Amino acid sequence: MNAHSLDTTLSAPASLAAPAPEARSTPPGDLAIWFFILAELLVFAVFFAAYAFARAQDVALFNAMQDHLDRNAGGINTVLLITASWCVARAVRAVCEHGRSATGAHWLAAAIACGGGFLALKCVEYAGKFAAGISLSTNTFWMFYLSLTFFHFMHVILGLVILSILWLQTRRGGYGPGHANGLESGAAYWHMVDLVWIVLFPLVYVMR
Amino acid sequence: MQYKSQAVAKPYFIAAIGLFIGQILFGLIMGLQYVVGDFLFPAIPFNIARMVHTNLLIVWLLFGFMGAAYYMVPEESETELYSPRLAMALFWIFLVAGALTIVGYLMVPYAKLAEMTGNDLLATMGREFLEQPLLTKVGIVIVALGFLFNLTLTLLKGRKTSISLVLLMGLWGLAVFFLFSFYNPENLVKDKFYWWWVVHLWVEGVWELILGALLAFVLIKVTGVDREVIEKWLYVIITLTLITGIIGTGHHYFWIGTPAYWKWWGSIFSALEPIPFFAMTVFAFNMVNRRRRDHPNRAATLWALGTGVMAFLGAGVWGFLHTLAPVNYYTHGTQITAAHGHMAFYGAYVMVVLTIISYAMPVLRGRAANSNRAQVVEMWSFWLMTISMVFITLFLTAAGVLQVWLQRFSTSPLPFMVVQDQISLFYWMREVTGVIFLLGLVAYVASFFVKGEAATLASSTSGRAGIGTQPA
Amino acid sequence: MNTDRSFIVLLAATAATWFIGESGAAGAAAMTATLVLMLAKGRLVVLDFMGLRAVRGYWRLLLPGWLLFVAIVIALAFRLGHST
Repeated sequence: MNAHSLDTTLSAPASLAAPAPEARSTPPGDLAIWFFILAELLVFAVFFAAYAFARAQDVALFNAMQDHLDRNAGGINTVLLITASWCVARAVRAVCEHGRSATGAHWLAAAIACGGGFLALKCVEYAGKFAAGISLSTNTFWMFYLSLTFFHFMHVILGLVILSILWLQTRRGGYGPGHANGLESGAAYWHMVDLVWIVLFPLVYVMR
Repeated sequence: MQYKSQAVAKPYFIAAIGLFIGQILFGLIMGLQYVVGDFLFPAIPFNIARMVHTNLLIVWLLFGFMGAAYYMVPEESETELYSPRLAMALFWIFLVAGALTIVGYLMVPYAKLAEMTGNDLLATMGREFLEQPLLTKVGIVIVALGFLFNLTLTLLKGRKTSISLVLLMGLWGLAVFFLFSFYNPENLVKDKFYWWWVVHLWVEGVWELILGALLAFVLIKVTGVDREVIEKWLYVIITLTLITGIIGTGHHYFWIGTPAYWKWWGSIFSALEPIPFFAMTVFAFNMVNRRRRDHPNRAATLWALGTGVMAFLGAGVWGFLHTLAPVNYYTHGTQITAAHGHMAFYGAYVMVVLTIISYAMPVLRGRAANSNRAQVVEMWSFWLMTISMVFITLFLTAAGVLQVWLQRFSTSPLPFMVVQDQISLFYWMREVTGVIFLLGLVAYVASFFVKGEAATLASSTSGRAGIGTQPA
Repeated sequence: MNTDRSFIVLLAATAATWFIGESGAAGAAAMTATLVLMLAKGRLVVLDFMGLRAVRGYWRLLLPGWLLFVAIVIALAFRLGHST
């Protein structure tokens, strides 16, 4: 990467009590990925808003259909994504603050496993719905449920592809303190995927 | 000119401008026919004039893209074009085929043209913008494949840059999606569904990649900003384009008989389609602000900035105005559509082709930039055409709003032709403005012939300091 | 250390949200509680996982701003739907 993306200070070593890394003016990772993240968040925000206002037109329908959702699956999936994010954050710390690539790679592998678990559980959920004859055309609630979660599902897949690439690179010792732009960028994308689900779960599965 | 083979771009650019003139003449014919219904009837009925106007637009833009690619790819790849001779052969084939097609539209009754050109073998004629005879369509595919073959081999043997990769992706995409013009299902819903795979996925898809690449190329040349910065922006822009535009195709699937979820998907995703255009505008202005040199071709810089703004307004804002399903329910197929269509095509694609021609033509003629006098005339043409287009759009928007109000939204809607009478004042104003647009185009052509000493880097440098790396 | 603490809080907040769902609570109070939990969780992911706590300037505000915007829109739509 060129000078333009390295105008941040090197991350300070973590202290034990309350780490206070030096303030920086740009987020960790490539600025380009952050524009991409903002764009994705905007699309999801519009989708969430559309859901919320569509629901306002027919609250009874949405509440009734929501009762058919598997909230346990949704809850477990939330835990899986949050755990995966935590593992990614730990991986970044291991590599960027302590220069321990092997540890970092293990944390990334754990994150990938959690993400894979999310996909598997989601597929089980979908299978159940399709078996019950639910489709995009059943009613507005199901159209939104399937569209929103499928759109998110695709982003989880992309996130896992990115994490896998990061895992391969980290194993080879490709990142270290002061030169982990790719790792930080990929990590930021994964956290976005988690962040979106953190809105989606309460909005679709819980709020009545 | 850094590579001799870049010279093949010149005939393509000249043909493009020639066909552009033809397009505008037929536009003016139609504009008059809106208010004087039997103008040139039966020699050139409205539907024929329309076919000529729209087909010429697409073909001249294609000539422009091809010229741009022949100019850009050797320079980006740092190697001569694989086969200049092939490029010239394809030029003549495309030009003659195009001319014959237009002559066919004008001289031969359409049904007879269909019979003569093998439409009974595979029926591809009769659809809007895809009126070309089968023979012409096949010809276009052959020319496109030859063109892509030539450029791809050039790229493969040289340096690969983001700009050339994005450009080639866009051009390959253009060719691939054109193949859908051969698919003409019996079922009307499917017919319309796949028709948009050519039209939407062209202008709100792969053509935006071409637009981005051309704009980035010119901006690197005239501003001298670091290539890495510009290429990063280019990737962000095309990603935004594809994220919003692919599923955004759904904004054409509201009323044609597809499932209702398309009203949601199409509205949500297409609502965000203005974003890449906004990014392009910010990008262009930002790069010019951060420039490391004052390039003598100020006209090209003006075209580049203007492209961003007009594309954002015409494609982005005017597109947004009628993209949400609840709005489109009322505005579909009205003068609102025409308003958006004109400003979008002009702002995005006409202007970017004029941008690259503005930059490249002087170089092809042996200088960094035209004389100050020539550039002033060119800049006049920029303002005349652009301001006229803004007013054409405003008049058509007014016509459209009134049309929707009287014909669709009202509790007692009026019939179509009655409403057309009511909005005819706006059509007259549009036609007058169209004449001014033509004057702008005349000035544009004239600018190529204005003499004077070429403007050079030395005569316009303002002593800007750069940082570190050399401009690309 | 911040990341580990945040993780625990996130798990707890998820459990709380799930519990609200299980209880079948509906109406403004439940909605507000859910949204507050959502905001809290989102903030932790943005500030501690994404590392924006250490960033000054408008980047620090953009993502929490997104969360707030989404929460407000949801709340508004909710009010709209339940005001009949």
